[in-house]
Amino acid sequence: MNAYLPRLSAGIWLLGMLLLGVLGFNTLNRDWLETGFLALLPKIEQRPDVAEAIERHNALINRKVIWLIGASGSERAIANAEQLEKRVRDSGLFGSIMMKVNQEQGIDQYRRLFAHRYRLLDPETRRLLKAQPQGLFDRNLEMLYSPAGQLQAVMLEHDPLLLFWRYMNAQKPANLNLEQGVVTVRDGQKVWVLLQADLDNGRLPLDKLEKLLQLSRNAAAEIQKSGGELRVSGLPLFTADGAESARQEISTVGIGSGIGIVLLFLWTFRSIRPLLLSAAAIASGLAAALVVSVWMFGKIHIITLVFGASLIGVVDDYAQHYLCDSFGDRDWNPRKGLAAIFPALFLGLISNLLSYVGLGFSPFPGLQEVALFSAVGLFAAWLTVVLLFPLLLAGFRFAHEPALLKLALIWERRWPDWAFNNRRWLGASVLIVLAGGMVQLAPRDDVRLLQSASPALLRDAEKIRQLLQLRDNQFFLVSGKNQQEWHVNEQRLLEKLDALIRRDALKSYEGLSRYWPDPETQQSDYRLVQRTLFDSGLVKRYMADLGFDRAAIAAELKTFAEAERGTLKLEDWLAAADAGKRSLWLGCTEGRCAGIVALSRIRDASALASLEALPGVVWVDHVEELSSLFARYRIRASVLLFAAFALVSAGLCFKFGRRGALTVMSIPLVASLAALALTGWFNQLFSLFNLFALLLVLGIGVDYAAFFYLAGERRTSTSLAVTLSGLTTLLSFGLLSVSSTEIVHAFGFTVGVGIMAAMLAAPLIGRENPLQEPKAPRKIAGNI
Amino acid sequence: MKPLAILLLLLMPWRATLAADTLAEIGARLVKTELTEGRFRQEKNIKVLKKPLISTGTFIYHRSRGVIWQTLTPVPSMLLVNRTRLLTAQGEQALPPAFGRVFTAMFGGDLQSMQEGFEMAGTNGKNAWQLQLKPKDPVLQKIIAEVQLTGDKELRQIDIKEANGNSTRITFDHIAHPEILTPPQEADFERLSSAP
Repeated sequence: MNAYLPRLSAGIWLLGMLLLGVLGFNTLNRDWLETGFLALLPKIEQRPDVAEAIERHNALINRKVIWLIGASGSERAIANAEQLEKRVRDSGLFGSIMMKVNQEQGIDQYRRLFAHRYRLLDPETRRLLKAQPQGLFDRNLEMLYSPAGQLQAVMLEHDPLLLFWRYMNAQKPANLNLEQGVVTVRDGQKVWVLLQADLDNGRLPLDKLEKLLQLSRNAAAEIQKSGGELRVSGLPLFTADGAESARQEISTVGIGSGIGIVLLFLWTFRSIRPLLLSAAAIASGLAAALVVSVWMFGKIHIITLVFGASLIGVVDDYAQHYLCDSFGDRDWNPRKGLAAIFPALFLGLISNLLSYVGLGFSPFPGLQEVALFSAVGLFAAWLTVVLLFPLLLAGFRFAHEPALLKLALIWERRWPDWAFNNRRWLGASVLIVLAGGMVQLAPRDDVRLLQSASPALLRDAEKIRQLLQLRDNQFFLVSGKNQQEWHVNEQRLLEKLDALIRRDALKSYEGLSRYWPDPETQQSDYRLVQRTLFDSGLVKRYMADLGFDRAAIAAELKTFAEAERGTLKLEDWLAAADAGKRSLWLGCTEGRCAGIVALSRIRDASALASLEALPGVVWVDHVEELSSLFARYRIRASVLLFAAFALVSAGLCFKFGRRGALTVMSIPLVASLAALALTGWFNQLFSLFNLFALLLVLGIGVDYAAFFYLAGERRTSTSLAVTLSGLTTLLSFGLLSVSSTEIVHAFGFTVGVGIMAAMLAAPLIGRENPLQEPKAPRKIAGNI
Repeated sequence: MKPLAILLLLLMPWRATLAADTLAEIGARLVKTELTEGRFRQEKNIKVLKKPLISTGTFIYHRSRGVIWQTLTPVPSMLLVNRTRLLTAQGEQALPPAFGRVFTAMFGGDLQSMQEGFEMAGTNGKNAWQLQLKPKDPVLQKIIAEVQLTGDKELRQIDIKEANGNSTRITFDHIAHPEILTPPQEADFERLSSAP
């Protein structure tokens, strides 16, 4: 660096910061924080119809919150539920709240469907009519004579054959009841009241999510006090829970590493100036990272901020290197210092940026954000060090012997000496540890690891699934050229599903063709009823035996004859159906009709997946697909990692020659291997994300190695700087391992181990002759 | 408003004490055992039908397992009702609102628990007692207008008046309290309880 104009460069820095401030003022004034889990995931390359089906299927789930309010008696449970409903309504978070059963909808359904009762048969009725028509009336009598048959007795007046009652009853889950106008579920001695609500907005801002969580917690505490119980589930709650723990983690990591760094600085420098300067570097880095990322992406995810908080430790490296350089030099000045360390600083920056570029190439929006956030933060902090520090370090003295120096010297002199003297067995045991750990690495690519949820929430979700038979994530997409073909295809699938239910491979399914017979089936159902019940004279006999008068019998025969013509169209059926059933129909476009078959409590997914062989049937397993995507990208990321190593090696080769490059690269290589090996030994999560962590290890490892390789006579101050920055990095990344999200935890672990290994290995290089006293000055290998 | 409020004030404690005391007295009269069995005759009067539906059969009540209701004439059938489920030979069926709770409570002589869902009034005569139950649940009110129970140390008769004019009368006789279930009864409970 030839030009040295501290005032000018500081001015440029200030100007940059002002620009950043203006940009920040314009970008950060809207809602920029993303909390939803799905935003982290890559878009799957899907056929558009499958993608649409997934969207429809998820849309119903994504905004829904479900509460079950339990008590030992229904009165108590309903009273509690009413209180909660009021609370939920008052919160203003929800667009629609469902507790009271909508009686109008029932009436509407009756109005639209009742006239078609002779051609709307449920599968069981159809089977019975074919096998033994008299059986239908026997069942009717059984119900009418039963002490529980009041409802059927009421129906008798308009529907003597109870066909419509059978049709509607076949659609109703057996364990749901209606009490005081609300849906209740009985479970042993407990009564649960069902309250459902749909959020106004699928992507709630953070403060609203907090409100939702708070609402649910307060209600749970209150209901518990009155001896009841509250269970809650729904994706918004998982999001809120995840956002809350991420926020706590950001403050743990941020405050923890902040305090650690402050103490370390005061202890080492015994002066406030280095601390303030470092703070300036960190603050400018983080501010730039935030503003630029939001500006680029519009919104950034809270997980990005978790990683971002840990960046503090990395961006501080450059500041420390500069500050430590002044150590032990009587006539040190900022100009001399900068000239000495600039090559290493530059190299460090380039290698780190290269590794972030690698992250940026990943297909995960989350990681792209992390990459940009980190790269910008690092670059801004680096610029602060290079542009601002020269002016503000004027007259800085670092002449006392900090306590850290003792540690640094042990580590920089004694440890390499000892290591070289014992290199045989040390090398051998390192090899054994590395190899032993590597063979224990077992990749896990489950996409659910991205999401963290408190055990209480998971317990609630499981209980609710159990009681309500909620839809699973997997489903079938069934299609055909037209409605008729779709119907045939779905019917064929449902037949197979019935068999699987009997084999316990799943609990239940929901498919439209089960409820809505196509026109042909409607026609054949009518004929079936005509043949078996009316033409055979069974109806007359049944009605006469029961005690209907002649007029009633004649009226029934007439109604039936009049119903011969007419068809119930799918559109009309859907208009009368509830939102849940309506969502199963995807509609017809360009010669193609499609619907969803939803499944609940799947036990044997592979048996279901094999049904994809049926015509027009697609098995959609979004979670599994994302997981296999993770696996594929893990392999791709391994290649990326090799490429990054090769790229950095080539760059170093160009600069230092083959031998020098090999020496420098040995540090990140050993560090990466150590990180992988310990991941194996400690049975930590090994997935795609560890590989991205290794990219960071590569960057930081090259940093340390280059600092040492280029240290020459400044070895002492270099070791002080590396010790200091190593400790701060460990503080920040080490704190990531407290995360409850498994991947963040794994990321922290990998980087932590990698840094530690790099710190241990770095002093082993750059010594003139390891067996001599390492005092001989060394020429700086180049001037960039 | 005022006269009405005073009337209510006067009325309410009186009603409450009547129900609570009478209920306790009646409850005390009832034999309470683990098992109760007997025969029933059920007569349903349905508006649209010219003649009543009459059925007869046997029942067995088990305090923790529920009631088996076995109709012998005219259409043989068997069902098991407990607090939460209605199980038939054809599998589980939807339980009408409040039915399971009330049905088992009646046989168990558990008058207190019926108070949860019903307004209760009654008289405790020398030979027999009588209780009138009116559902609190507005939805149930649309189906059941009133239930009347009559008994002495046993429950003898149930009268159900439905809102639409239908009515049911069930009478019990040959009531006994065996110590244990017979093997066939045991088998019936097993079979029905394990319905899918």
